[in-house]
Amino acid sequence: MALLEAKDLHVGYRTFEGYLHVLNGVKIEVDEGERVGLVGETGCGKTTTVKTILRVLPMPPAQVQGGEILYRGEDVLRMSTHAVRDLRRREITAIFQDPLQALNPMFTVGTQLRDILKDSKAGRDGGRLTKRDIEKRCIVALQETGMPDPERIMTNYPSQLSGGMRQRVCIAEALSREARLLLADEPTTNLDVTIQDQILRKLDELVDEKGTSVLMITHSMGVVRDLTQRLYVMYAGSMVETARTKELLACPRHPYTQGLMKSVPRLTGEGISEGIPGRIPNYLEPPSGCRFHPRCEHVMPVCKEAIPPFYAVDEDHFAACYLYRS
Amino acid sequence: MLSPSRVLEGAVKDTMLKYIGLRLVQSVFVLFGLSILIFFIARVVPGDPARAMMGYLATQDQLQAVRVEMHLDKSFPVQYYYWLRGLLHGDLGRSAYTKRPVVTDLVQYIPATLELILFATLISVVLGQAMGILAGYFRNSWFDGVSRLVSYLGIATPSFVIAILLMFFFSQVLHLAPSVGRIPIMMTAPPTVTGFMVLDSLLAGQFSTALVALTHLVLPAFSLAVIHIAQEGRITRSSIAENLGKDYITMHRVHGIRTSRIVFKYLLRPSIIPTVTVMGLDFAFLMSNAFLVELVFMWPGFARYALTTMLNKDLNAMVAVVLVIGLTFAVVNLLVDILITFLDPTVRIQRRGG
Repeated sequence: MALLEAKDLHVGYRTFEGYLHVLNGVKIEVDEGERVGLVGETGCGKTTTVKTILRVLPMPPAQVQGGEILYRGEDVLRMSTHAVRDLRRREITAIFQDPLQALNPMFTVGTQLRDILKDSKAGRDGGRLTKRDIEKRCIVALQETGMPDPERIMTNYPSQLSGGMRQRVCIAEALSREARLLLADEPTTNLDVTIQDQILRKLDELVDEKGTSVLMITHSMGVVRDLTQRLYVMYAGSMVETARTKELLACPRHPYTQGLMKSVPRLTGEGISEGIPGRIPNYLEPPSGCRFHPRCEHVMPVCKEAIPPFYAVDEDHFAACYLYRS
Repeated sequence: MLSPSRVLEGAVKDTMLKYIGLRLVQSVFVLFGLSILIFFIARVVPGDPARAMMGYLATQDQLQAVRVEMHLDKSFPVQYYYWLRGLLHGDLGRSAYTKRPVVTDLVQYIPATLELILFATLISVVLGQAMGILAGYFRNSWFDGVSRLVSYLGIATPSFVIAILLMFFFSQVLHLAPSVGRIPIMMTAPPTVTGFMVLDSLLAGQFSTALVALTHLVLPAFSLAVIHIAQEGRITRSSIAENLGKDYITMHRVHGIRTSRIVFKYLLRPSIIPTVTVMGLDFAFLMSNAFLVELVFMWPGFARYALTTMLNKDLNAMVAVVLVIGLTFAVVNLLVDILITFLDPTVRIQRRGG
């Protein structure tokens, strides 16, 4: 059984302009100990997917129209709020994109970290941790992220720390209670390039050590190449392709993925690539059938009629495209 | 040896004391300016203070005698000099209306109003914040809708109208509360220590008097509190609703922190800061704006005294009243600033310049 399995997820937002149908049949599987990447352009529904899994999507305006999210076989979407909270305390954790927004500016790092552990029930037999244990684990969690002088960091307010330091604090918070699954939503996008690499390496090291499963959301191909074993490509709220990371990067099959690979700038390349013509569709009136069809050079009549299912194109390599119907 | 955090705390305390000192000095200057302003404005407003004091039957000689006694025959700067000299000796002159030293009047009336508006503030903080937190957390729910409607009504209805309605229902119809005054006329008031009737009764061990005094406070205090419950509740409601959408609150939930902790600690702290500023101003406003409610409930308070001095062109009392109101604003603003410094670490860090 997969650790996490999202099936045919449909999520939309009710707004003034009308109904935005964002997630259109999302499927993801993360196995125990596996590291999975989820790539796609900005606005393709990656963050909505993560927030739906965590059950922190503001509803309304958001609405889950259908599908299920199974964690160890249990549907997260149908759990009681109590059960979901226990799940967050013990099993699932997350790091968000913007470390400047993710820490409460009114409280010290120590206060926030301590409260997480206080409520985590991470003590023996699911009980509370003792005060001394909490203190010790806070320090260890900060130390693990490579932060110098954790005792002093604990007394600091977020505004006294740099972006990189704050993201380290976020990582420490996320990993402090030994969760089994980490959802990392573009954890380094808002950081300086030089810091990005350091933080990713540290994160890589830590999840390796703890055996945490990871769903890494990003729009950077470099990040997924280094950090993930399997990859999902998302376009406009639908999964278009999945395979082992190496295979997918070497030999993309879906026309969208092929275009995406071409638009990655290469240092050794022939200048700036042409990219994919057109833009991500409007979710108010999304294209019928395959949402990529208005931008696709191989478009066929059937593409406009129905959402293509995943077709096996190779061993453990699937593409949601009618080109591979046979 | 001092730990780094100790040193930091010490530094915070030092800058805080320095800041408070600076603000106090500023306040003295502001009050000084205010006294000059009100001193001259009071004297150029039409009307003869001597005539107001002595009545229509006074002869020219009698009026002249009063003018000499009050230095009204001298030039303005000289008059101000006399007034300032008196002030330094704790003498604000004699009230033309009550015929008593102004200081005696103030000592009698200020505590009555302070007791009233402190109690009103207490009511408005408890009810207004409870309403605001609930409405903000369950924004766009039926409770939010009802509280919005009630708030608009509360803001639109003048407090003296509320006072009259409350008095009619609770004391005339239902006989649940007394209608006027601070304690019944037949009751012996406790010896004055603080001037707060409830507190003085408790100090004197007269517990039944304290209880009765408290019931006398409820209706007028509530009449004054309604508009503040409405306004402050709405302010808290909107900042709670806004902060609820912040990433950091989502993160607190993701990390499994329990809801009560999120709401009353992590959400309330940043949300209450704009409200605290308004609360301070509201409190200071009540000092002079409570007069209509004081009239309705026959409350022997400062706001009513202030109004009477203005209507009677009671020069010394007018100047003193304006200064007391100015002083209230200065003190309350300073307290609010200190409170916010404790609530908001970003202010603290900025002030330290690091």
